[in-house]
Amino acid sequence: MNMTVDPRRKEKINRYKAPKNQGQSGGANEDMMPDYMNILGMIFSMCGLMMKLKWCAWFALYCSCISFASSRASDDAKQVLSSFMLSVSAVVMSYLQNPAAMTPPWAS
Amino acid sequence: MRPVFAFLLLALICFASTKSESDFEEDDSDDFAEFDDGNFYAEPAAKNADSFSGGAGSSHGESRDDPPAKEPRKQAQNQESDEEDGLVEDDDEFEHFQDEEEFEGYDGGDSKDPPIDQKVEPKLNIPNIPLHFRTHWDSYWMEMLMVAGLLAYFANFFAGKAKNARLAQLWFSTHRALLDENFALVGDDGKAENENPGLIKESESLYTLWCSGRTCCEGMLVELKMIKRQDLVSLVAGLMRPQLDQAHIKIELTRGVMDAFVFAVGTKKTITKVFKEYTDLSKFCSLVGKPEDRYNVPTGFGVLSEIPEATSAILESRIITALNKYQSYIDYLHISDQFSGPIQQEEGGTLKQPETKAVLLAGFNLPKHAEMETIKPLLLLIFYLMERLKTYRMSKEGKAKSDKNRQRVEEEFLKSTHAARAEAAAQRREDKRKQEKERILADEDPEKQRRWEAKEQKRQAKRNAPKMKRLAVKSL
Repeated sequence: MNMTVDPRRKEKINRYKAPKNQGQSGGANEDMMPDYMNILGMIFSMCGLMMKLKWCAWFALYCSCISFASSRASDDAKQVLSSFMLSVSAVVMSYLQNPAAMTPPWAS
Repeated sequence: MRPVFAFLLLALICFASTKSESDFEEDDSDDFAEFDDGNFYAEPAAKNADSFSGGAGSSHGESRDDPPAKEPRKQAQNQESDEEDGLVEDDDEFEHFQDEEEFEGYDGGDSKDPPIDQKVEPKLNIPNIPLHFRTHWDSYWMEMLMVAGLLAYFANFFAGKAKNARLAQLWFSTHRALLDENFALVGDDGKAENENPGLIKESESLYTLWCSGRTCCEGMLVELKMIKRQDLVSLVAGLMRPQLDQAHIKIELTRGVMDAFVFAVGTKKTITKVFKEYTDLSKFCSLVGKPEDRYNVPTGFGVLSEIPEATSAILESRIITALNKYQSYIDYLHISDQFSGPIQQEEGGTLKQPETKAVLLAGFNLPKHAEMETIKPLLLLIFYLMERLKTYRMSKEGKAKSDKNRQRVEEEFLKSTHAARAEAAAQRREDKRKQEKERILADEDPEKQRRWEAKEQKRQAKRNAPKMKRLAVKSL
């Protein structure tokens, strides 16, 4: 496999174009984890806030953490931040309303 | 006689006044000013008010203050009754204020109070405070667990992120020399000025590298898909279904460099997966039975082939040797002139065939212990394959077969979208007519409008008339 001729061609340089549609390049391998976690986090936050379920608020915090960890660099950072704020506020609000410790589901 | 009459009159008024006691309280004394001989009319009312306030007051203090104030009043009353026999009723009327049953603690409040002993401490009853008001940190163990989990998650996030970055850089530095030899441009971020040539971080577990400026190809995109080490949940999930770090290479070949055929080889698992997923593979290829015997591929590998002749030309001895040697590192090789990505879901009823590209795709597993040198020959294999595709030409039969296949696929596509295309054409015609109508109506010439309407009516009538064949009647 000796390269006797230089295969490089400067005139053939094409600049990198970020794929417009992520689904086109990644296909089914496309990672949907951050989106799912974002939605799940929002649902849990809402449950935590509305129904005063502490474990929901905590799960929301975890979901937003996972969403943050697996988010793409091109993704909107605001979305991740808002999901974080929502889940943190769910935790804070639930403890402001009722400072009692969380009881494990098997204890109640 | 006169004093007696006056006395009787007084007695009568007194009787009337006691009867309307409540009224008497509220009314001003002006009403009775004419009878105002002394101040004893107002007295019952004042006494009444006092006694009421004493009776209504629940505290002992008030009731204790009352009795001394009451004594003189009582005496005054007795005097009155002594003096005036006719006012006996008045006495009876207020006697119930002294009734113990009715006004508890009103009169004998002093005697009923329990004696307070200064020496003995009073017994205090402390009610049970609900559990959650006690600040016992022990009870918050669930919260502590949650916070500890978050801390662990973030610690792992930073560690995993650093490891992924290190692995990606290691891959790049190992292959850098080879890439520089083959491409005029290595590493591009897509910006006007290439600010940071090298790997682009798409996410904490995905790094990409764009190389361009080589014969036969437009560009090469390397995607380093790492295990999501930054995500603890994925790591735990990975314990059940082990994953590997992977490098996916996608080379866009220049049109016309390769002959028209579709081919794929790889691990059986991946092959069955991509066979279902990718349009070109599912439309043009068929799964080769017993590829080990037919093409000598290592066991555990599957082959998807469109034209057997091209498949055997690609799977020549050098490739087979490489496949055998790097079996554990090769996930798949996919060569296609009709690549259009994964199968699209029929949503919008696409009327145009998807754009196709000639590509060479490859997926490699990265070695577990970061020995990147071991997989360096795999990149050489890719360049070799590219050269091979450039030089390889199919026979006439093969070309005819491949043309037939492409035609068949196109026909199938046209057939499947026939109804949708007819609908679209009808819609277009309708839109055109509407536009024409608007134009005519906007025109001010009534003659023109009339003509157009007549034409339109004729057209409608023709359209609605039953279709029948015109038969030529032969004259006998």
